[in-house]
Amino acid sequence: MAHRWGMVVDLDRCTGCEACVTACHAENNIPTVGAAEAARGRAMHWIRVERYWEGEFPEARLTFRPVLCQQCDNAPCEAVCPTYASHQTDEGLNAQVYNRCIGTRYCANACMYNVRFFNFFHPQWEKPLQLQLNPDVSLREAGVMEKCTFCVQRIKAAKSEARAEERELVDGALQPACAQACPAGALVFGDLNDPESRVARLSESPRGSKLLEEYGAEPKITYLQRQGWHEPDAQ
Amino acid sequence: MAQPSRWGTPSVFTTAHRSAGEAFRAFFDMRPDEVDQPVAFSHQLHLEKELVCTDCHEGVERGPVAGLPSVNTCLICHSQIATDRPIIQEITAMQEKGVDLAWRRVYGYTREAHVRFEHAPHIRAGVDCSTCHGDMKQQTVARRVVEMDMAFCVNCHKAKQASNDCLTCHF
Repeated sequence: MAHRWGMVVDLDRCTGCEACVTACHAENNIPTVGAAEAARGRAMHWIRVERYWEGEFPEARLTFRPVLCQQCDNAPCEAVCPTYASHQTDEGLNAQVYNRCIGTRYCANACMYNVRFFNFFHPQWEKPLQLQLNPDVSLREAGVMEKCTFCVQRIKAAKSEARAEERELVDGALQPACAQACPAGALVFGDLNDPESRVARLSESPRGSKLLEEYGAEPKITYLQRQGWHEPDAQ
Repeated sequence: MAQPSRWGTPSVFTTAHRSAGEAFRAFFDMRPDEVDQPVAFSHQLHLEKELVCTDCHEGVERGPVAGLPSVNTCLICHSQIATDRPIIQEITAMQEKGVDLAWRRVYGYTREAHVRFEHAPHIRAGVDCSTCHGDMKQQTVARRVVEMDMAFCVNCHKAKQASNDCLTCHF
């Protein structure tokens, strides 16, 4: 059976440390644009940690929500792409094909999660930082969109390795950079089509919900959160 | 890497070509077929002596990269064979000095092609080396004899019913 890659984010575990963000930048050669351009909304982070304050000080409570591409089954970004650069693969990934992209930015406007990013600049790394670039990942040039790929290069490598050793992929052996870096284990990646996989079991959890589910994009990322949480009494 | 122009516009012509000149050269396929190599290695001579490709390109069955041999690989045989030739003495001297051969790529993709090629799955699928690299028995120093454009890849993928999804190669 074909794989169907998905993720579970346990918000009760997330501490907002942003290790996932750093790992993603390092793995996927995501350039930084500097403070001035970031202020103009041109910063690129395939995964970001959103902060939510609840209540007023001193009873304030801070919660975090890592937001990355939700790899929707019914993705709004795909329908609007005039060149099919944004399309669904057999394994349920929202692929972005840089060669096809002509930079209309329709997809970024259609995406309600704001997880698609446009390269306003040619990527540049100050020496010697160019030496840390990941050779398994493309460098996207100015004028194309980019987004979270669920570390497709790692998926490819793991599948290739499994096929070379003539075995099936083992659940948990394959992780995107964000899940690998998460010290709290809040991000769980795996095959939703495998009923035994950790991600498939967790996505059935009663704590689970999906982001902006009511719009019908059918995202493949489930957020786990304790329901009806309230501050314990001070006494 | 090219700098942005003084107008602050990105220094790209199209997503595939950084300048108009580069696009022109790509369109008319103006690319040298021959590459200067550090030593004039003869594929013909070695294949006549019944060596096989994997003797020197060791990674080809295992991973993405076939691998270009180091001086140590040469000297597995050449510590015994043809040691009187000046070219072999040169290689032996290189090993003693601890320097390696700076082979240059014959095939390869431009950065803008966004192609991630893996050798191992092709070898497993039974694709012969010569399908993409030509008959090496006819070549001394490796030359670019097969034009690896996308049509070349896609035709073979279609014929062998391999995946033709963009993400198979472009990511």
